Amino acid sequence: MIMELLTSIARGVGLTLYVTGASLLIGGIIGLVLVGAARSPIGIIRGAATLYINIVRVIPPITWLFLIYFGLPQYALRLSTLQAAIVGFSIIASAFMAEIYRSGLLSIPDGQREAAHALGLGSITTVGHIITPQAFRVALPAIATYGIGLLKDSALASTIGVREITYYAQQSAKQTHEGLLSFVVAGALYIIISLVVALVARRVDLKLRRKIGVV
Amino acid sequence: MDLLTQWLGWMPNLAPGLVISLQLTGLALLIGFPFGLLLAVMAEAKFLPFQWISFGFVEIGRGLPALVLLYLLYFSLPDAGITLTSLTTAIIALSWNTGAYASEYFRAGLAAVPLGQKEAAITSGLTGWTGFRIVILPQALRISTPPLAGLAVLVFQGSALAFVIAVPELMSKAFEIGSITFEYLSVYTLTAVIYGSLTLVFLGLVRLLELRLGRHLLRN
Amino acid sequence: MGLSFGTKAPPTALSGEVEVSGLGKKYGVIEVLKDVNLSMAEGEVVSVIGPSGAGKSTFLRCLNYLEKPSSGTIAIGGARVVAGEKLPDKTSLDHLRRVTGMVFQSFNLFPHLTVMENITLPQRKVLGSSREQAEEVANQLLRRVGLPEKAKAYPARLSGGQQQRIAIARALALSPKVMLFDEPTSALDPEIGLEVLAVMRDLADEGMTMLVVTHEMHFARDVSDRIMVMGNGGVLEIGPSQQVMSEPQNERTRQFLKAVLDR
Repeated sequence: MIMELLTSIARGVGLTLYVTGASLLIGGIIGLVLVGAARSPIGIIRGAATLYINIVRVIPPITWLFLIYFGLPQYALRLSTLQAAIVGFSIIASAFMAEIYRSGLLSIPDGQREAAHALGLGSITTVGHIITPQAFRVALPAIATYGIGLLKDSALASTIGVREITYYAQQSAKQTHEGLLSFVVAGALYIIISLVVALVARRVDLKLRRKIGVV
Repeated sequence: MDLLTQWLGWMPNLAPGLVISLQLTGLALLIGFPFGLLLAVMAEAKFLPFQWISFGFVEIGRGLPALVLLYLLYFSLPDAGITLTSLTTAIIALSWNTGAYASEYFRAGLAAVPLGQKEAAITSGLTGWTGFRIVILPQALRISTPPLAGLAVLVFQGSALAFVIAVPELMSKAFEIGSITFEYLSVYTLTAVIYGSLTLVFLGLVRLLELRLGRHLLRN
Repeated sequence: MGLSFGTKAPPTALSGEVEVSGLGKKYGVIEVLKDVNLSMAEGEVVSVIGPSGAGKSTFLRCLNYLEKPSSGTIAIGGARVVAGEKLPDKTSLDHLRRVTGMVFQSFNLFPHLTVMENITLPQRKVLGSSREQAEEVANQLLRRVGLPEKAKAYPARLSGGQQQRIAIARALALSPKVMLFDEPTSALDPEIGLEVLAVMRDLADEGMTMLVVTHEMHFARDVSDRIMVMGNGGVLEIGPSQQVMSEPQNERTRQFLKAVLDR
């Protein structure tokens, strides 16, 4: 029984990873733009970025998904369930990623920027070659933790019909009446994926630290 | 129809949903926080089975998506002969989830109380439970309060999940209105505004609490 | 060296390598630098000493605009900047930073880059050198500071003294006309500081123009040509090193030297 459940629920792993990965990637890129905007010398841009980050964060993820999936078609913007999920989670991820980048940037000592200025490096070189690589390394563990959080949030995509892990678990629970087992299997899949992500992230982090001699 | 009139017209339907959302949140906190403290204390216990039990509850409560935990209880409890309303099921799931996260903050708070305090309690004759209760716990709670308050805000947002097992809370009511009027965009925007503004209010309260606690520490 | 830069600054009557006049800096109403004047000849070494809070570091950091002075003019190695409300135009600022090299108390090597990359990146980005050119310069400088074997190491693997010597090499790689040292040995154990001071002494012997904020009285007396004593944001006195150390003119200088030398 458990093998049957596993084979049917594991069919959702692909879309779970796809929704999580795509949203983290798109949200990560928008987050970069946001953190840039939040440091802009122009007040309106700064204000808009901060407002966006706050609005996104105070609305529950499931409300975002429903707003996008059910709400947007009213304006003839009909998205597939998968597209709606990725759009929704990308929006959510962008705000959280922006915060993660921000604290990464804050962790870089002033001396790094000063040294770059004193050497006469331009601002693009300073950001691109000196600040960003260091900030990224500092932010990596937080990005991994957030990625795992997003993985768990992605279960919400089942509520609009994306065929990921939780969706199949629900199907199995209804068809086989093995409610407990179905969701134990689903839960185990999420925990295994989380552990793999955490392990890989720790490896990469350690490798980067070792490389530059900070262990 | 003008948006505001439309929204006002929906309020009588949405308001009872919001009340249930708040009840759900309140109960999840009321049960979840003490449960979290219990899990934290058990995790530090010398009796190993306590540690294992604590570990199991925390890992399931944190490692599983809240939605999966909710479904797990919803689909399995009736099979075990336990019939509960969906609201009760949602309260249990949300409390478990809350307790698992809260236990981490309690543990951090307990760990942050200096060893000297424990030694001082013991040498003052305040041993065992009494010393823990009147010396260690108050200090630990003060440290844990800001992150716990932040968690409370997340629990409010998490209460929206109860929608999936048909608890008649805010999201359910919004869905109802949407499926009758087909004004999905408008009704979910209103729902987002309600969640968002209440969350902002709660966050404001959390900030106030942090300031108060900070001032207290300054005075010491 | 035949360096030519298209600065818009008019030719100045001042002829020294460093000509600072009337330099002042305010934070709000607090004056941290008051009318500081300094003129240095090419190849001259000047040490800046004084109690903490005297404005020594602020003075140095104003010279390459890590901090914005409120008033005065700065002319260094052909670059000239007049301080005011606004930042000077980018060309003059770049020129100023191009002719000055700075060494920090906390080294500020880039931790994610190897020693070689720390020295070559600025050359490639600022001077437009090719990788081969930059590496050749870097290898020469690494030999000069006595660390040729550390090219591939990351900063965290080096001792503080080694990091500071690399930081000196990194600054020298851009062939500055004047080197600014901001308490280069303060973060180091005394015996480690000696290896850095030795590199600085060599540099002075080779004719580099150097301005050094320091607490090392031996270095100030033995290596520098002149000593400038600062107190309360102003210059208390400036004169030949031996003279300032043995017969200070200013009462506050006497008190400061007594306190430092008695320690």
